[in-house]
Amino acid sequence: MEAVYTKSPDFVQRDVAGECILIPLKRTLTESNCIYVLNETGAAFWRQLDGHRTMKTIVSSLLDHYAVQAEQLEKDLATLIDDLVSIHAITTADA
Amino acid sequence: MQRLTRLPVLPSRHPLHGQWELTCRCNLRCVMCYTDCFNRPEHIRNELTTHEILRIMDEVIEVGCLELCLTGGEPLIRPDFFTIYEHAISNGLLVTLFTNGTMITETIADQLASRPPKRIEISVHGATASTFDRITQQDGSHRRVQEAIAMLMDRRLPLTLKTTAMTINKGEVLLVKRAVQSMPRVGYKVGDEMRPALNGSVGPLALGLTPDECATLFQQDQEIWNELCTRESKPAALCSSGEHRFHIDAYGMLQLCSGNRQEGYDLRTGSFRNGFYNHLPTFPCQWKVASDSAAPSQVVPHV
Repeated sequence: MEAVYTKSPDFVQRDVAGECILIPLKRTLTESNCIYVLNETGAAFWRQLDGHRTMKTIVSSLLDHYAVQAEQLEKDLATLIDDLVSIHAITTADA
Repeated sequence: MQRLTRLPVLPSRHPLHGQWELTCRCNLRCVMCYTDCFNRPEHIRNELTTHEILRIMDEVIEVGCLELCLTGGEPLIRPDFFTIYEHAISNGLLVTLFTNGTMITETIADQLASRPPKRIEISVHGATASTFDRITQQDGSHRRVQEAIAMLMDRRLPLTLKTTAMTINKGEVLLVKRAVQSMPRVGYKVGDEMRPALNGSVGPLALGLTPDECATLFQQDQEIWNELCTRESKPAALCSSGEHRFHIDAYGMLQLCSGNRQEGYDLRTGSFRNGFYNHLPTFPCQWKVASDSAAPSQVVPHV
């Protein structure tokens, strides 16, 4: 929970037709046609990533704004972080 | 997080896809081209400036456009092309580039590879240099396009090649297709649509194939024929231009599509949002007739 994540400058976040999407700028041939769509919690998480706030701070902030159990939120964010790391959209701040 | 190729739900009206004719300038003079009649100094002087393009593009992005096709003319002929391209890419537009390929150099290929587009489309007019150069009216254009294709493939850029079948090249269309099939990771599509020139001249139409000639040609290729038959068997869908699609010409006029310029909204003086939501729906279109009547028959899509 003390981890800090940084957004990659190689992704642009946009709000299009009510969806929060991530667009890779350095797309490979296999992902030339794809976008990544975040759900509401994922979008809120992405907006709070600033390279300084710890996960603990972000989770606390999200719990203040969303009617969700802490355990469920932490589980969902762990999955989301795995996904974002796997596409290189975020890195740990000291990486 | 979902990895998708398109948004799951769209409002009934949203400017998701745009096509932007950045210029009518071109270094080739293709015999069937509908924009070349405006490849003249008096028209070029009236094309949008860099500043105007970037301002309008910001409005297009703000309203939520996701996919933008940059076309011409030849878009790479604009000295500010990469200013425009970089602005689009860095602001999260999925860019498709229509180019004739002849201006692509190693440097330009590197620039494209550093911020890859969603797709690059190049027209391959014939399998032989003589047919190709006869259509472009430019000696050496076939060789330069072949070199461009190699440069883009070397950089693993997403490439689609295409041919418009016409009287001059009908004997080579399938040869082009076979050649493309031997190229790894390269797509191919064929079309047959001829359009009147933007100045109203019907000259290009004389190069079009008759329906019988199209059928004779495409029946020789099972893959193309099956695709056409599948498409023909589906109920005709109403065109989504003006609902999810729009077109901007080289002079800043917002239109329903590149094939329908009967009316336009001037983006030099009005906002994109106002033009898209309040004006495009009022523009006439023969394809937007009552939902129970079929759209005009079209054998293959415009390429």
